[in-house]
Amino acid sequence: MDLPCGTRNYDYARDMAVLRTRTHWALFIALLVIVFTAPLYLSRSSLSIANLIGITIIAVTGLNILIGYCGQLSIGHAGFMAVGAYTTAIFTSKLGIPFPISLICSGLSAGLIGIIFGLPSVRVKGFYLAITTIAAQFIIIWVINHWGSATGGFVGISVPTASIGGLEFDTDARQFYLIMVVTSLCLFFAKSIARGRIGRAFVAIRDNDLAAQVMGINLTYYKLLAFFIGCFLAGIAGALFAHWVGFMNAESFTLTDSILFIGMVVIGGLGTTIGPILGVVAIRVLQDRLIYFSPALESAFPALPSGFTVGIGPIVFGLVIILFLILEPRGLAHRWMLFKAAYRLWPFSY
Amino acid sequence: MKVKCTWIIAAVTLALILLSLPLLSACASPQAKPGQVLKIGMINPATGPAAEKGRVMMAANVDGVKYINDELGGAAGYQIEVQALDSNYDTAKVVTIVKKLMDDGCILFTTAASAEMSAAKDAANKAGFPGISCFSSPSLYRPPAHIYGQTPDYGDDALAFANYYMKNIWKGQGKPKFALHLLSNPTGYGARDAFKAKADELGIEVVSIDEHKDTTISEMESLTRIKGKNPDVLYISSTPKPASIIIKNARELGLYPGITIGVCHAGLTKALIDLGGSDVVEGVYGTYPTVLWGDDVPGMTKMIEYCKKYRPEYEGNADYMGSWAQSLIVAEALKLAVKNAGYDMLAKGDAASWKTVESQGIQKLNGYDVGGLHGPVSYTPGDNRLDKFNRVYKIVGGKIAQPSAWVEAPLVKYEQYDWFGK
Amino acid sequence: MAELLQYVVTGIAVGMVYALIALGFALIWKSSSVANLALGQLVLISSWFTYGMLVQVGLPYWIGLLLTIVFAVFLGWSIERFTLRPLIAQPILSLITVTLGVGYFLEGLVSFIWPTSVAALPHLFPKEPVHIGPAVVSQEYLWAAGISLALFGMLSLFFKYHKMGIAMRATADDQLAVQACGVPVTSVFSMSWMFACVVAAVGGVLISLIGGITYGLVETGLKSFSVVILGGLDSFIGCMVAGPIIGLAENLGGGYLTPIIGPGIKDIIPFIIIIIVMVIKPFGLFGEERIERI
Repeated sequence: MDLPCGTRNYDYARDMAVLRTRTHWALFIALLVIVFTAPLYLSRSSLSIANLIGITIIAVTGLNILIGYCGQLSIGHAGFMAVGAYTTAIFTSKLGIPFPISLICSGLSAGLIGIIFGLPSVRVKGFYLAITTIAAQFIIIWVINHWGSATGGFVGISVPTASIGGLEFDTDARQFYLIMVVTSLCLFFAKSIARGRIGRAFVAIRDNDLAAQVMGINLTYYKLLAFFIGCFLAGIAGALFAHWVGFMNAESFTLTDSILFIGMVVIGGLGTTIGPILGVVAIRVLQDRLIYFSPALESAFPALPSGFTVGIGPIVFGLVIILFLILEPRGLAHRWMLFKAAYRLWPFSY
Repeated sequence: MKVKCTWIIAAVTLALILLSLPLLSACASPQAKPGQVLKIGMINPATGPAAEKGRVMMAANVDGVKYINDELGGAAGYQIEVQALDSNYDTAKVVTIVKKLMDDGCILFTTAASAEMSAAKDAANKAGFPGISCFSSPSLYRPPAHIYGQTPDYGDDALAFANYYMKNIWKGQGKPKFALHLLSNPTGYGARDAFKAKADELGIEVVSIDEHKDTTISEMESLTRIKGKNPDVLYISSTPKPASIIIKNARELGLYPGITIGVCHAGLTKALIDLGGSDVVEGVYGTYPTVLWGDDVPGMTKMIEYCKKYRPEYEGNADYMGSWAQSLIVAEALKLAVKNAGYDMLAKGDAASWKTVESQGIQKLNGYDVGGLHGPVSYTPGDNRLDKFNRVYKIVGGKIAQPSAWVEAPLVKYEQYDWFGK
Repeated sequence: MAELLQYVVTGIAVGMVYALIALGFALIWKSSSVANLALGQLVLISSWFTYGMLVQVGLPYWIGLLLTIVFAVFLGWSIERFTLRPLIAQPILSLITVTLGVGYFLEGLVSFIWPTSVAALPHLFPKEPVHIGPAVVSQEYLWAAGISLALFGMLSLFFKYHKMGIAMRATADDQLAVQACGVPVTSVFSMSWMFACVVAAVGGVLISLIGGITYGLVETGLKSFSVVILGGLDSFIGCMVAGPIIGLAENLGGGYLTPIIGPGIKDIIPFIIIIIVMVIKPFGLFGEERIERI
């Protein structure tokens, strides 16, 4: 089912390749063309939403490595994003470090903080781990708020425009290219991790960590590595977010966001590369559409009581999440796989 | 098979809902006479953590614009078309909304919460898109750019109260001791910054700074410590719920009465009295930038009429008045802009229009009285607070009463202090 | 010394309120291993419902409160029937995420029905605070503590001795095996959600008596996560002990460390304690240690 008819693999490298058939390549190039010409025909607001989607995809991909591949629950991902965001804010605005370096540093600092809060994972499992990561969320935000000399405290911090060489990413269209390139790199990075030795170790730990240990997988090392990679990606996402917003304080990184990220992973499909993309696009587009839904309802039906139009947004949002999960508990990625299989086998579906 | 059917039906329904959203919005904004409206955007946190204020304020924004369009014939004869949007108090959403408003040809935008404006600030300033925030913190416009504060900011509240206290309440010798209880966000810390900048000038001493979250259910611990410092004043810069708990606990500890309690304008609403109980909050002072509900001022009758007609549940809510006034101020600014620069300059809704609205509208506001609901609204160069006047009220008999004269809040140039934002 | 006593009294009183909400969380976990992310919203909606019955409709207190419990039962039943039952035997994270959707839905429902968004319940208890030596505590906390103790007692006995309670514990352990033994798993889930909603409703009413009904209740509900996890997810006694521990940590830590470290330290002390406890006792203070086999 996984492969189109007639595709054979003669060596391991081919078996592991991301793009294998001509159709793959054609679709891939078409996708690239569509994505990278998008600024020509999309408006500023659509690009801005696309940017937000790109940023969220990076963060959620990181979370997917933690939860989906390695089975380590994290309810503090927005906190790790905040670490990355503030690292780049401080580095570029106060220390004058160029953006590409500070972007990497953001990832590294978030990764290191991730390792610190991931330490209990060596002993703690499952939902118990949730609390150390919730704790991470609260402690990180507290430190940001109270370490004013570096972070601007409650007042917030201004983040300069990202620039590489002399190229300023000051409009949404330019940011779009930056964010899409970084997102693609991160997705490729995540995919490579997932299909390699490390990814297989993660999956073994997720499925049964005791068995994995018996087989010779170093649990401590791999669990912490998962935290590092997951939080590294969160840090990169946070850095991009900081440059995208331009001015931020700790109120931008809430526990609600962290929980919603988990929702996105689950709705998209745990432990798949395509899952986070589908989940993030579905949720973010829905969120955006719902902003304009209530005012439209209100002016189309002026007789509605005032509470109705306010309440309808969260109600529809909640209902859609519930429906997504009831209809496809294994995530949209699963549905995507079924679709691919059906397409490949058509018209003889058995 | 059955499962598959459900799936298809559900998918179709979902697709229909999603497809109908843009259609709905399309039919919702009928382009009756193209080029005859002034488009603006109004952002409020109608859901999410600040819903208790945002929902009221959104309703008032919409009602205010409706009043201007229906009864005053719009701004200088042009109808105002408003997009009232719910930000969910979410930073990322605010950023995308502001960009959408720019794309849609809005010529200015407003927000209710200072947190929303913080998020929108950078995008708006870069594009030169003028914005007016109802609640504001000093960081929004220090240094000043394209963001304006409708009412005095959290720091101004604190200073207005301190000024009033020194003139009318303080009878002792030496410096009065102030204890601050701050909400853990810019609302709270705006007050700290103001005291930090001006305490010496006012001749007061800040003896303790405490912090609380908006979810707090007991502040006995912090108040026990505050009691140990023997303060003369407890200043609470917070929203109604935590403020009511702090005042209740202060009473239980025997700290209050005995000291003076002051509340900032985000906290001094009817909700404070409802939540705390009228006997508990009796005698508490607070600042507020508008007059009282039902006061005899020219603008009051229409506002109450609209509130009773469309939102009876919000009657008596001071936040309603604040945002109603915001709509009036926006209309006034638009009127001035149309008069000074002509409608054609505003019609396009591009960067040139934004500049026109700002320089010919907002910055030309001079002594506009907002129907008496507000302190006078004027722009002074270098100071983006439009209304700089507060009144100090006292809660008497379960009602906010005993208004003082308008107290002008001095301009504090926070950016000149090297500790600001640290 | 007077200060210390005040901190201790407040800490325990506040902690018991946390424990009360946490019980509702532990209940669901104990019977179905689902983490209920909609707990905050359940607290919110049942408080609003009580407000509707007592203030808007104007019913006598006992009828109003009884109706709230009926409403909570109905709420629990419908959440289980319409959102969780279709997901039986699916990955556990999907079940947890679906409660997130339920949370949003309930939040919207609250805005829909009660657009005012802030209200206070009438006083059910006398307003005079109680003096314990030099310390003061208001009666709402004492009642909350008493009621959470009573609920704890009832739930523990129920889970220990009642047939349904035993079935619930067994279901949490192994759904398949239990089903094979003829236990109606669906009705076990249904029951546990009804119980949990009732506990959330009771907690909601008591907390709203203290601080009024605002959106903040949702986050107060979230705070119970830290309590349950510190106590052990599946342990009622854990909730009852961990609640006061967190309350004490907040108050003692806030009381003595704020002058040294600065304002706001109170909010993160519980989390620091929790991390330390997690490293030392990975299953919480009273959680069931699982012996693992390959």
